[in-house]
Amino acid sequence: MTTYSKEDLRDMFEGRLPWEKTKEIMSHPKDDDRFDKYIQILQERVSWPEKILMPLGDHLNVVQKGSDRIVKCDCGYEFGDWRVNWKLNALIFVRDDMAKMEEVYPGLKAPDPNLCEVREFYCPACGVMLKVENVPVGYPIIFDVLPDIDGFYREWLGRPLPDEKEFKDMTYEVTASWAKERV
Amino acid sequence: MSKRATKGIGDGGRTLIQVLEDNERLYRETGCYAGITQPHVLKQDPIRAELFHWRIMAALISGRETTRMVSGSPYVREVAELCLGLYTPEGDNIAQSTGIQVHIRLMGDNIRWMVKMNYEEEVGIRDGDLFIANDPVISGMHAADVYDMLPIFWEKELVCWVSTVIMEMDVGAVSPGCMPTPNVERGTDGLKFCCEKYGTKDRINRDFEHKINISLDMADIFLLDRKGAVAANVRVRKEIHNIIKEFGIDFFKQGILELIEEERRAQTMRIKQRTIPGRYRSVVPCEFQMAKQPVAWTPANVDVLRLVPVQMDVTTAGKMVLDFEGTGEWGWHPFNGTPQALWGGVSIVTVQILSYDGRANLGSLLPMEVKTPTEDTLLNPKFIKKLATSTPWAPLLDVFGMWSHLLGMTFYLRGFREETFNYRSSAGWQMAGYDQMGNKRPLMAAGTGNFGPGACGVCDGIDCGGWLATPEVDLGSVEVWELFVPHMEISRRFEPYSTGYGRFRSGVALPTQAMIHRTMKCVGSGAIGCAHDRLIPNIGQFGGYSGGRRNTLMVRYKDFAGMLERQEPLLHELGFLGDLQQRLGDQLKDVGLLPAPMEVIEGDILIAASGAGGGLGDPLERDTRAIEADMDEELSTEWMAKSIYCVKAEYDKQAKRWKIDDAASEQMRAAKRKERISRGVPVKDWWRKSRQRFLAHDYDPQIVEMYQSSARLSTSFAQEIRDFWAAPEDFTL
Repeated sequence: MTTYSKEDLRDMFEGRLPWEKTKEIMSHPKDDDRFDKYIQILQERVSWPEKILMPLGDHLNVVQKGSDRIVKCDCGYEFGDWRVNWKLNALIFVRDDMAKMEEVYPGLKAPDPNLCEVREFYCPACGVMLKVENVPVGYPIIFDVLPDIDGFYREWLGRPLPDEKEFKDMTYEVTASWAKERV
Repeated sequence: MSKRATKGIGDGGRTLIQVLEDNERLYRETGCYAGITQPHVLKQDPIRAELFHWRIMAALISGRETTRMVSGSPYVREVAELCLGLYTPEGDNIAQSTGIQVHIRLMGDNIRWMVKMNYEEEVGIRDGDLFIANDPVISGMHAADVYDMLPIFWEKELVCWVSTVIMEMDVGAVSPGCMPTPNVERGTDGLKFCCEKYGTKDRINRDFEHKINISLDMADIFLLDRKGAVAANVRVRKEIHNIIKEFGIDFFKQGILELIEEERRAQTMRIKQRTIPGRYRSVVPCEFQMAKQPVAWTPANVDVLRLVPVQMDVTTAGKMVLDFEGTGEWGWHPFNGTPQALWGGVSIVTVQILSYDGRANLGSLLPMEVKTPTEDTLLNPKFIKKLATSTPWAPLLDVFGMWSHLLGMTFYLRGFREETFNYRSSAGWQMAGYDQMGNKRPLMAAGTGNFGPGACGVCDGIDCGGWLATPEVDLGSVEVWELFVPHMEISRRFEPYSTGYGRFRSGVALPTQAMIHRTMKCVGSGAIGCAHDRLIPNIGQFGGYSGGRRNTLMVRYKDFAGMLERQEPLLHELGFLGDLQQRLGDQLKDVGLLPAPMEVIEGDILIAASGAGGGLGDPLERDTRAIEADMDEELSTEWMAKSIYCVKAEYDKQAKRWKIDDAASEQMRAAKRKERISRGVPVKDWWRKSRQRFLAHDYDPQIVEMYQSSARLSTSFAQEIRDFWAAPEDFTL
C-alpha cells in the first residue's frame, strides 16, 4: 500500500516539498491513510483542543465541540453549526463599484459592477481572507460545501461518530430569523 | 423503434437491438455492467489481461498517429484535435486513445442511435462500411467535430466498432469560421451528417467526395481528414483482428465487457478514496451577446444573461450526481447545449481528474449521474432541431470548468490537495476571407494552450497550461497557421494581469497577438469557448481570487503605414492594463465576448487575452521568495507585489533581481489584515441592506430578466432565492 510520511505531506501542503517528490505523489496510486495523517497535520498546527473532524478550507475546519459540530478558524474564531453556511458569520467586503474592482483587477481586467460583485469573506478575529465569491448581483451567498460528515465516518471510514446529526442545510433558518429581528 | 431483423449480426445471432436491450436489462438488474457480477476472464491471468488492454490501447494510439501522418490539416497535425475509441457492438466505450476525449461517450451515442434506428436491417451494417456523423441533435458537441465510424467483424459477427473524431476547419458553415457565432438556424451550421454511410469496402464513395468538393471551401482538408480517419480505423481493425487471433474470440468478447465493469468498480473506489460525500455548489452565469449580430432571424437580436447553477452531490454509495436545477431558458443563438453534450463535459473532466491511468472507458462514467436538465432550459431546448448548434462549448466549458473546481474542493477536504485544480476557458477571433494565396476560406487559427489553469493545492498553476478540451496542451508550431490564415504572429508574452492571485497563484495566460497581413478581404468575428465576459467565473479557491476578465481586443493604428516607415514599434505586449486604453486611445477597441462581424484590414492587430483560473488561499500568505521569482521572470509586477501580495519589493539593479524586504512586508500584511477587519461588515448587516435592493428589483434589467428566466422553469430555484432573502411567499423575482 502506498504511504507517505507526515513530514513529506506537511511539506507538500506548504509548497516546500521538492518538485520531484511532489510529482511522484501526484502520479502514484493514492495513499489510503491520507485522511488520518491530514487531520493529524491540521490538528498539530492549531492551539485549541477540539478534535478536527474535517477541513473546510485553508483555515477552516469542522470540529467536535461537546456534542456539537462547529466550524472553527485556525485562530480559534467559531462560526457555528457546520450545517449553516459559515459565511453568514463572517465579515464581508463587497467590490461593487469600478474603483473597488480596480484595486484587484486593473483596467480591462475589471468585471462589470452593474452585473456582478466580488464578495470577500474575512475571519472577524484574524482577518484572514477565507473565500472570494464572484456572482451576479442579487445571487444568494453560496454554501460551497456541506459535507456529509456522519455518512463519511460511518460508511466510508467504518468509524461512526457519536451523536450523529441530521444531514441538512439549516442556512435559511438563520436568514428567516434575521428577517424577523427588529432593527 | 423500427421492426427487427430476425437473424442478427450480434453475439449468438442476436440483433444489435437485442444485444443492447439485454445489456441494459442486465445492468438494471445487477448494477454491474453487462450483468458481470464476477469478472473472471481478466482475473484468471492478470499479466495476460494487462497485455490484452494495452494491445488495444496501442492499436488506438497508433491509429491516432496514423491520422496525423495522413491528414494535412493543422488541427490534426499541430493541435492533435482528434481521438479514437473502441466500442462494443451496441456502442459502449471499451478504450480510448489520448486526444479530445470529450467525444468518447458521444461517438458511442451515435453508434447506439444507429442500433436503435435499426440500421442493421434498414441501412445495412457490413464489413468495410464507413459511417459519418456530426449532428449534435443525435449526439455531439458541434458540427465541426466529425465522427468516422467503422464496424469490426469477426467471422460475420460484429464484435466491436472503432470511431475517430477530428475537428474540421470547414464544414460549410455561414461565415466566419467553422464554429460561427452570428448564426441562429440549423442550416447555418454547415453540412450535417446523421450517421450516414459514406463508403463501403473501406473506400469513400465518389459521390460523397463530389459533394464535399462542391460544398466546402476547404474540401481538400476535409477529405484528407476523412482519409486519415479511415486509415486509422482500418489500422485499428487490423490490430483487433490480430488481438483476436492471439487471445481467442471468446476471450476478446468477454474481456472487452470486463474491462468496462472493472473500470466501473475502480471508479467507484476512486470516488470513495478521494472525495468526501456531501453537497457542493456554485453557479455559472452566461452572457449571450446577440443584439448586434447580423442574423436573418431578427428575434435573435437580444442580449441576455442566463444562470446555470451547478450542484454536485457525492453519495455514500460512491456516486456523483450533477444537477443543474435553476438553469435559465434556451435562446435564439448557437450556444444552447444538449443533455448528451453534458456527458461530453463529464467525459473530458473525468478522464483528466479521476480516471487518468489509461483505463478510462464507459465504466468511468457509470458511477456518474447527470440529472436531465429541465426541458427548455439552455441545456435542454426541445426546439433543438431548429437551432444552430455550432458553439454549445461556450456555456459548457464554463460549466465543466466549474465542475473541476467542485471536484478540487472535495479532493482538498479529503487531503489530496495535490489533485486540486480548476479550469477556465476563453474566447478569441475567427475570420472568413481570402488567405495569402487568394483563396476564400473560413479562417480560424487554433493555437491552444494559452490559458492559465487554476492553482493546484500544493503549488502554482501551470503557466499557459490549461486547455480542458484537449488534455495534452499542444500548441504545435504556431507559424503553421500563417499558411492558412492571413496573419502574422507578432508576439507571445505571458500576461501577468491574467493571474488568479492566492497563496498559490493560477497559471499565467499567454495572449495571442496576430497582425492581419496580405488579404484581399477579410471579416473577423468572435470564436467563443466560454460564456463570460463582463462577469468573471466564481473559481477563486479558499481565499484566492479568480483571474480577471478575459479580453478580445483589436488595435487599428491611425497611421500604420507611417509607423512602418518610421520603424516605430507595434504593440508587442499589453503591459499594465490599468492604462492600456489611455496609451492607445481609440486605436484600441475592446470588442467584448462576441464582436459582430467586421472587416479587418492590413495592420490590424487582433488580440485574444485569455483569462486564468482561480488562485488558492489568501494572497497575503504567498511565499515572498515565490513572489520574487515571479517578478524576476516577469510573471508578476511591482503593482501586484504592493496591491495584492502586500510586500515591499525593490529592484536590485546590480544583481538584476527583485528583493523583498520580509520584515517590512510582514508589517504591511499585518496592517492589511487589520484593515480588512475594519472595512468588513458583518454579513447580517450586508444582508439587510442587500435584501432591500433585492425586494425592490433594483438591478440592471438584464439581471432581473436573468432571475425571471430561471424562475419561469424552476419553482425550487425561485423558492431558494426567496428563502435566502427571506422574501414573502408571493414575491415574484
